[in-house]
Parts: sequence; structure tokens; C-alpha cells
Amino acid sequence: MSQVANQAYLNTRVSVMTTRLFAPGLIERLAQLPLPTLAEEFGLAPLLDDQTTPAVRRRAVEQSLIQLLLSELLVLTRSMEVNARALVFDWGRKYALYNLKTLIRGKLHQLDRQQINDNLFELPAHIRLADKELFGAENVLELLRRLEAGPQRQIARQAREVYERQREPFALEAAIDQRYFIGLTRRVQGFGAPDHDWLRRLISAELDRVGLLWLLRFRFTYGLSPSETYYWLVPSMRLLTRDRLLHLADLDSFEQVLEALPAPLNVLIADCRSIAEVQQRLARYAIDEVRLVLARSPSAVARALAYLMLRETDLMRLFAVVQGRLLGFDDQTIRHALAQIEPSP
Amino acid sequence: MLKPTPMKHVRLLVLTEDLPRASLALAETQCFHPDPREPESERFATLPVRPFHDLHTQAQSRLDKIARLIRFEPPTSLEPMRVIEQDELARLNDWLGRLWEEVSNYEEDFRRLDDAERLIREQQAALENFRHLNIDLGMLRTRTRFLNIHVGLVPRENLRQLEGAVALAGHILHVYLEGHDTVHLVIVGPSDDHESDLSPVLAAAGFQRLPIPEELDSEPAKLQRQFARRLDAIAEERATLTETLERWSEPYREPLREAQRTLRLAEPLVQLDSALRSTGHLAHLAGWVPARALDALRRRLDAALAGRYALSVRDPLPEERPLVPTVPVKGRLLAPFALLVNQYGIPSYGEVDPTPLFALTFLIMFGSMFGDVGQGAVIALAAWTLRGRLGRFWPFGLMAGGSSVLFGFLYGSLFGYEHVLPALWMNPLSDPLLMLRLALIWGVFFIVLACLLAIYNRWATGQWRESLFGHHGVVNLVFYLALIAGGTGLVDGTGFGIWPASLVAGSLLVLAWHSWLHQQAPVGEKILVVVIETLETLIGYVSNTLSFLRVAAFSLNHVALSIAVFTLADMMGAFGHVVTVILGNVFVLVLEGGIVMIQVMRLQYYEGFSRYFSGDGYAFRPIRFGRGPA
Repeated sequence: MSQVANQAYLNTRVSVMTTRLFAPGLIERLAQLPLPTLAEEFGLAPLLDDQTTPAVRRRAVEQSLIQLLLSELLVLTRSMEVNARALVFDWGRKYALYNLKTLIRGKLHQLDRQQINDNLFELPAHIRLADKELFGAENVLELLRRLEAGPQRQIARQAREVYERQREPFALEAAIDQRYFIGLTRRVQGFGAPDHDWLRRLISAELDRVGLLWLLRFRFTYGLSPSETYYWLVPSMRLLTRDRLLHLADLDSFEQVLEALPAPLNVLIADCRSIAEVQQRLARYAIDEVRLVLARSPSAVARALAYLMLRETDLMRLFAVVQGRLLGFDDQTIRHALAQIEPSP
Repeated sequence: MLKPTPMKHVRLLVLTEDLPRASLALAETQCFHPDPREPESERFATLPVRPFHDLHTQAQSRLDKIARLIRFEPPTSLEPMRVIEQDELARLNDWLGRLWEEVSNYEEDFRRLDDAERLIREQQAALENFRHLNIDLGMLRTRTRFLNIHVGLVPRENLRQLEGAVALAGHILHVYLEGHDTVHLVIVGPSDDHESDLSPVLAAAGFQRLPIPEELDSEPAKLQRQFARRLDAIAEERATLTETLERWSEPYREPLREAQRTLRLAEPLVQLDSALRSTGHLAHLAGWVPARALDALRRRLDAALAGRYALSVRDPLPEERPLVPTVPVKGRLLAPFALLVNQYGIPSYGEVDPTPLFALTFLIMFGSMFGDVGQGAVIALAAWTLRGRLGRFWPFGLMAGGSSVLFGFLYGSLFGYEHVLPALWMNPLSDPLLMLRLALIWGVFFIVLACLLAIYNRWATGQWRESLFGHHGVVNLVFYLALIAGGTGLVDGTGFGIWPASLVAGSLLVLAWHSWLHQQAPVGEKILVVVIETLETLIGYVSNTLSFLRVAAFSLNHVALSIAVFTLADMMGAFGHVVTVILGNVFVLVLEGGIVMIQVMRLQYYEGFSRYFSGDGYAFRPIRFGRGPA
């Protein structure tokens, strides 16, 4: 298929799939739905399995929602050209990185195979790590050395070097996340117009959100120095660029950082009093940006990725409601949890 | 040989404690393919060997890791056979775990030496750069009262972030050498509080300090000698470490060999894991067994379990057909052709295994398209010479070369010389029309054969309607034969003929009617689909037959290429002639040989397999003993 035909096909596919996104009315209604209705409306049969514990049901639902998302990802990538497919797969590989973190935590806490296995996601072949190989590792270092021999070489090498020096999971997980985001931004650099501009906007919206949250947490919650805080951040290509992050990381208080933010972030979160409040507003900002890309972008791959991000947010909302119901929370608490849901890059 | 091996479904009930013994018996017969479906009875809900499976996986993984450092001969025999109990496996796993802990220290030591060697090589690379720096290098070595200096290297991908972080810590960063993966840099800043900010950043960025040699600014040659001595020392240390490891591991070789034997003996039970269910003391196991191997299986189970088992046997049910594994054809000569067939798919149970037919028609087509005694002999000789490297594939080259030699004799062609050998039949270029006619006849024969196989395969798998009216079914075959008969009449000048015309029209009408009945669409769309499908049938068979003209075309092409080579050679002197003929033959062998191979594969896959071979089966994989460390 030609480039034009590919774009047309993918755009049509995305438009058709967009009808699956939750309408605002449904999101409002979600918090009030009981478990049987949730199971029926969204095809979540494991919810009604009375033979299993709520934890097992929760896990089964989470797994089936992720599989649903990744199956849609695979459908969308079928007609993509090589670069676009690689970007979308890279985006989906965060689930493989969740598995990696689970493996690392499991090895750190010396959990047995079954306990680790219960917390791993089943992933399609294009995305998953060589889990079997990694399972054979006896400790974190061996695990990372094994990972270095595969496609996650870059992430693993840095993670191992960090772990060898610091021997603590924060640095290890921060290194894994940082490599993941840097990988995404590098992928975007390889695109030409119009894909590049819209992908930049899309990924930057996420990086701005994540970057600001990390900056606030690392500086003012974990008490890291400006230089170490900056080191772990990933500059975005729009608002929180390298120079801005350098400036912001060097400020000494939460209020100073909020005041020094560029527009539109300065207006958006000017009167926030806590990081949780900032997180909520940033989530709304990022979702609006992703929606804008889906609605207006002429780039099929940017629209496909935007769709996947929104779809993932919807499925996370659904999962939050399921989780709330399984734990016996009231509607008000569930509604509050829904407001915290943010798109994940 | 074309018929599939008949299979039986067996259900084995044994005592859970006898499972290891039963698994050994099944592995010895090499005829039991596990069926992982849940048993009908819901009582069998437990996975009895899952803990055994997990232990085995971990123990095998540990042994594989140990085997990377400690070489030991794999066991030559599994005799005497013995049952491996879970306790024994657990003890072995623990022992392997403890051993791996010690062996991994050696592995880390080797890695440490690798890192040290890499660092020296980085220093060697940096040496030249240091020499050209216009600064007092002595300053870089010593910590001053006011300045804090770090010289070292970081992974290239961390540089950009590090630059910013270093600036925030009040330091400056200068890159003086860029390597493939790493960059060498100097970081300078004031000796104050900020220094403590920098340390975690440097650690996070994977900063590796480079010691500045004392003699750097005075005697570089001496320094190079020093580096060389250190590299020698590392090599020596590595040799010593290897020797120590050899000595240390000596008493472990035999136990490791024995451990490998134990794991191999335990593997059959692990392979049964997915197909085993139990309730209390009773275990249920289901699988597929070739009918001819049933007696041997019973005898072996009798011997191993002393009659404490219940075996029920039945034929595969029609709805189970897609689940029944297919036993592959055996034979050294057919093995390489089976590999090519498997590239397309595994025959499903009941289907004719196309491997023997594929082998025969492949050799006929390859030889006829690439007939040359000399070049064929080169192919056969190359396959024989490289048989070690080609593995199971070498008979393929030998037979393809042999076929080429045979047709070379028929065509009288030797390395492109057409008048050295007398042709047993004729030179293809002497009567191209006859060659084309023969290719068409071959094509008709091939397509008819493919249709007959398609009809048989569907009939054998219970799809009688498909075998009559489906693609390449009986009605299609009648249509095709009538079309060929009519076409032959036209060529002979006797006209298409009433009978062929009636059969063509009649069969097309039947196909159209069958298609009409199976459409679920508005009338207009149905008409459109039926017309297009009918037209496609007509055009498809004609074009597929004409496709076989390439068999003749390539035999002619081979001669034509040889003529071109000799025309060029004749324009040279005596030496040039010889060189051109040799190079020309190499060119023909490589280029034309490759193209002919692709064309034959295309004819086989597209004109043959796509008609009669579904390829959606799966191979018979009986449980057997393990094969040793990965």
C-alpha cells in the first residue's frame, strides 16, 4: 500500500475505533454502576466468578483490560510503516517494563516464582520481555545482565550500572523510566512532517506532565539536590524544555516553581497547594491535549497513538471502578478516584 | 507413503505415585503426544506435577548457567533407567543453587577482568588526547584546596543530562574524547558543598573514573609499555583464574554429569505437566499415539506399572480432527524436502503428506530447467563437500545436482558446451515449440494431480460437499479437463467440440449455482459475486496452466545464457576465453541456479500446495528424554 493509502486506512481505522471511547455521560455513570452491570456491559466475566478471591478477580480484570488494549494496539500497527509501528510498540512496551519492575522487586524481596508470576502481565510477543530467560536469574544483578543481552540493552545497562553503585530500587526504577521516555522522544525525532509536529505535541504533553510531577516530588518530597533532580528528568519538546527544567530544578520552594512555570501551565496550576492537586490538573491538561491531537491531527500515527492513550485512560477508569467496587468503597470515593486518573505515556 | 499414519486417542489412568514411572515408560516408547485438554470429569482438577515442573525448570536453568563456565561431558547413556522423585529433584536443585552461587563469583571475576581490560583500552585511547592538552596534567591528579576535578568516562547516552546536572552543581564539563559508546570528560568545580550534590549524579550517570598516570606528561612510550604490561597481567590473571576454576571444578564434573542425567530422566514427567490432572491418588493423562505403536505402549506400561493402570483407546472423533498431530515422513532423502514443505505448513491429520510428491516433482522441474552435466555435478559435489555445514539439507543439493546432471545428458550440455556430449534426447533450443508444448502438458498433468489430491484430502476429512463443489473440487476438475480437451481441439483445427463446450458450460453453471446458494447478500451483489467468481475460475485455470511455460522458458534460457557466455569468450584470446567460460559458468550457476530454485518453489507452493494442501496441522511431538544443557 502507498503512503497515502496507508494514512487513509489508518485514519479510517482510528475513526472507527474512536467510537469505543467512553462518552462523558458514561464516565459520570461509571461510578454508580454495580459489579454485575459492569461485568455485563464491558464483558468482564471474571468479575462474577464467586469461586475466587477479590484479589484474584481484580487481577483477572486488569489482565483482560490490558489484553484488550494491546489487541487494539496490534490491530492499529498492522497497516503502519516501520517507524510508526516501532513508536507504537515502544509505547506499549511500558507494560513489559512494568513486568521488569515486578521481576526486580520480586528478586529484591526474594519472592518465590509463583508470587512473582501472579503479578506479571501476559503480553503479546512483540512487546514482552524474554520472561523465561529472566525468570532463571537468581538476583537483580543477574537479571539485569541477562536483560542486557536482549533488545532492552540500553535500559538494562544503565539500570545495572546505577544499581551496582547505589544498590537501591529508586535509582533503578528511575533509570528504567528515564530510558523509556528518552526512547520515545528519540523515536519521534525520526519522523518527518506532518507526523513529527503532532507526535511532538502528543509526547510532549505527557512529558510536561510527568516532568513537572517528578520535579516536584524529587525536589520537595524526596529532598534530592537540584542537580540530581534534573538528572532524572526528561526534557520535553514544548513547554518544559531543557533550559526551563534547569531553571525550575534550581528553585528552592514549591511556590517558586509554580510561579516560574511557562504558559499555559502557570495559569492552569497557579493556585495549587499540593502535589496531588497539581497532578489532578495536569492530568486534565494532558487529556485535553491528547483529545486535540485525535480530533485535529492530519497525522494518522499521531491519531492512532492518541486514541490508544485515551483508550487506556478509559480502561483505567473502568478498572478503578471495578477495584473500588471489589473493595467495597462508596460512590463518592470511587468518583474521587476517577478524577485522579491520568493518561499514561 | 502418502497416507497419514493412523492415530488413536488414549486415556491413561494411573496412581499419582506411579506418575514418574509411567512418564519414563512413555518416553521410552517415544510414541505419546500429550493432549492438554481438560478431562471430561471435573473431579480431575489438580495439576499434580506443577511443583515438580517448577523445580526442574529452575534446576535446568542453574545447570545451564553453570555449564557456561564448567565444561563437562554430557552423559552418554541414561541407563540404568530410574525414577526421579520430587525430593531428589529438590535436593539436586538446592545443590545446583549453592554451586551456582560459587560459580557466579568466578563469573563476576571474569567480568571484573573484562571491565579492567576495557578501562585500560580506554586509557590507551585517551593517552594521545592527554598529551595534546595544553594544561598541567599534574593538576588533574591532585585534589586542590579550591578545585575539585573528575576525569573519567560516561555512556554516551547520559552525556546530555549530565551536562545540565553538572552545571546545576556549579561545575563545568569538558568532553575531550568521543568513543563509540562512551565519552571521555573532565568535570571541574569548586571544592565546596556542591561537591556532595555531584556524587549521586555521577553515580546515576554511570561515571567511571580514569586514573591519570604519573608519567603521562613525561614519557608516553613508557606509559604505553606500562599499559601493555597491565594488559598482559590481566591476561595472565584470566589464565590463572581459568586454571583455578578448572582445578576447583574438577570434583564437580562427575556430579554435574550425573545431575544432567537426572534432569534428563525427569524431563518426560515435566513434558506431561500440561496434560496431567489428578484427584486424590488418581491421575488422568490423555494423548495421541500412532495406532501401530499401541501394542508396544501396552507392553511397556505393563512392565513398568505391573498392571496398575487403565488404558482406554479410541479413534479420533470427527470434531477432534484439527487437534490430531501428524506424524512426519521419515527418511534421510526426504528430510530436506520435508523442511521445505513445513515452511508452508504441517499437513493436517487425514491430509496426504505432500513431501514425496513434492520431492519428485521438484527434482523433475529443477533438472529440466537447469539441465547441465557439468554444472549439476558442481552442485552435487558442493553439497557433498559441505555436508557437514549443510546438516540435513545436503541430500537436497546432491539430488538437485543429480537431476541436473541427468537432464544435462538428455540435453547434451556440459558447462554450456552443447556439442561435446551427444544429446540422449535433444538440445532444447533445437525445437523450442516442442519444449513449450511439453511444459504445457506437464502443467496440465500437475494441475490435474493437484486437483485430485485436493478432492481426496477433502473427502478424507469428511468435507464431501467441498470435494465436489469447492475450489479445485470434482466440478472444477471436470471443467478444467473439458477446457483442455476443447483447447486441444482448437489447436488441432477440429474445433472446440460440442461435448467439451457442454461440459465447460455445465460445470460453470453448477459452480455458479453453488456459489449463489452460499451467498448471503442482496440479489444485485449476489449476481456480481457469482459472475466474478465464474470468470475468475475460467481465467485462473488458463493462466495457471500457462504459468508452467516457465519450465520450458528456463531450459531455453539456460542454453541462451551459455551461448551469450561463449560469444563473449570467443571475442577474447585463449586465456581470456578460459577465464570468461569459467566466470560465465559461475555466473550461470549462481544467478540462474538461484532463479530456477525460486521459480520451482513458486510453482510448488502456488500452483500445487495452494490447491490441495491446507498446512494447518501440527507435528507429532512425542515426549522423550531431555537432550542436555542448552
